[in-house]
Amino acid sequence: MGAPVHSLTAKTQTSLEEVKRNTKRHRRHLLGNSISRYYFLFSILALCLVLGLVIVFIGKTALLLFTRISPQDFFFSFNWTPEEDAFGAAAFIVNTLSLTALTLVIAVPISVGMAVLCAEIAPKWLKSFIRPVLDLLVGIPSIVYGYLGLTVLLPFLRRVSGEGLGDGLLAAALVLALMVLPTICRISDDAIVAVPRKYRDAAYALGSTRLQVIMRVVLPAASRGIISAVILGMTRAVGETMAVVMVIGNTPQLAKSLFAPTSVLTSNIVMQISNVEFDSTWNYSLHMMAFLLLLISFVLILIIRLLGRKRRDA
Amino acid sequence: MKIFKKFTVTALTAVIAVTASFAGVAAAADSLKGKITVNGSTALLPLTLQAAKEFQKLHPKVKIAASGKGSVTGPQAVKKGIADIGACDWDASIDVPGFKAFDGQVANKVAVIPFATIVNKNVGVDNLTTEQLKGIYAGKITNWKEVGGSDANIVVITRAFGSGTRVNYQAKALGGGDIVKKEKNYKETGSSGDMKTAVGTTPNAIGYIDLVYVTGGDIKAVKFNGVEANTDNVINGSYKIWAYGYYMTNGQPTGATKEFIEYVQSKKFQQGSLKKLKFIPISAMQS
Repeated sequence: MGAPVHSLTAKTQTSLEEVKRNTKRHRRHLLGNSISRYYFLFSILALCLVLGLVIVFIGKTALLLFTRISPQDFFFSFNWTPEEDAFGAAAFIVNTLSLTALTLVIAVPISVGMAVLCAEIAPKWLKSFIRPVLDLLVGIPSIVYGYLGLTVLLPFLRRVSGEGLGDGLLAAALVLALMVLPTICRISDDAIVAVPRKYRDAAYALGSTRLQVIMRVVLPAASRGIISAVILGMTRAVGETMAVVMVIGNTPQLAKSLFAPTSVLTSNIVMQISNVEFDSTWNYSLHMMAFLLLLISFVLILIIRLLGRKRRDA
Repeated sequence: MKIFKKFTVTALTAVIAVTASFAGVAAAADSLKGKITVNGSTALLPLTLQAAKEFQKLHPKVKIAASGKGSVTGPQAVKKGIADIGACDWDASIDVPGFKAFDGQVANKVAVIPFATIVNKNVGVDNLTTEQLKGIYAGKITNWKEVGGSDANIVVITRAFGSGTRVNYQAKALGGGDIVKKEKNYKETGSSGDMKTAVGTTPNAIGYIDLVYVTGGDIKAVKFNGVEANTDNVINGSYKIWAYGYYMTNGQPTGATKEFIEYVQSKKFQQGSLKKLKFIPISAMQS
């Protein structure tokens, strides 16, 4: 942003004016820069403060739980009957993990397949159709997915399985799979597109078929990106609440079958948090569940960051 | 020109007169100002909103903010000082099963809320006794043929613990009986709306809900001990599943809060808007 150098002697008269004007503009720019710098700094500090407060407040209330009951009771007991002072969250933890796993088992093959289709195989017009459609799917509020699950998916599952209720892990996993599909697909898509063209050219030059190129070269090269896509999908599946609450049945018991009404951490929190007293063990244990979810997402995001760093090193 | 002048003068006079008369109304209401926050029961929320709308027309300087989250949040919010009025489907100043009394709070009766047992439209049963309901909700009766229906498993749908509807239904329809917690055909829903959808879309389902929600063709209300669920039967005392709705306040209400509660309890509101919303006036039960 320095004042421009004038080499033309014929214009010295005017250039003096110009220099003056330019210095003025330069100062103005500097002021603008410093203001925006402080503004950005303030924004990031405010964000950190809010995030810190959230963690502190949830954590503080959550840890109060262990002044009332022991960690063993909370983490390893399957008996959740708060009305009778039994606060075992093990069933919810196990259910949350199995729901996430089931969701990924359904969603990952489909979404990675679609990503390959989008990036490698599909003609241009199909690509320019699929990508906006997937982006649109992200914008639908989760409660709408839940309502569709309740009114369309559940009656269908009841007919197919012959169960009376149909609520349970399978229904929730199907709804969640539809919800995480765009996330996983679009990010994997980007990762696959980012694989350098020379890798493919080299593989084709060696006489590989298209399938071989995709399976042996492109997917391995994009694997880190695909894994972060899967983990991002996982964080969405772990934390999703409204859609799950409508199709899972909300019965605090360990899911012994795919169709048994059951409950996960998020659905249990949302069902009960508004009905419990402020300073009760019940309230503390719900906060502990929230804190647990926070920790799970934190760990998952850490994994993504580590993967990203490794890729840069390579 | 003259005509225009005349017209202007008349128009101005009219405007001034109208303004003055409005100012007169406003001046009369000036004495009351303040801010009232209402929190709590979703069942009472439509009533509160309607009352707030009418009350604010009478007293433009009073601001009323109302929200619903669930019965027990009402007295809790009052206790924490977040709300002036806590709407609750039970008298929270005394102990009820599962909930301790809120000390120092006063319960102001504002309405009568009837509740109904509902079933999916495919269920052939149209009358259930207290004993039968007790058996169904305790998990002892699991097939509709045991209570006179077709051979199909009963799907029990209930509200989450802490719901005012559940507290009242358990006390009045089940005679204080237990509600099963961990069963295969058992499901909990979070709100009256969810309950209605769940019972309406699940064949062989049974549930319970505020009578005002019983509309549409997917659900039907069943008779309780042979008595049909309607407002007339609540008033004449033959239908037993109903409860008072309360406005909980911290001590005796004062100022604008007091005026507002008195407005809701007034004959004009009880016989007018409250009835239109399908609640029952409190006076109907006390006479």
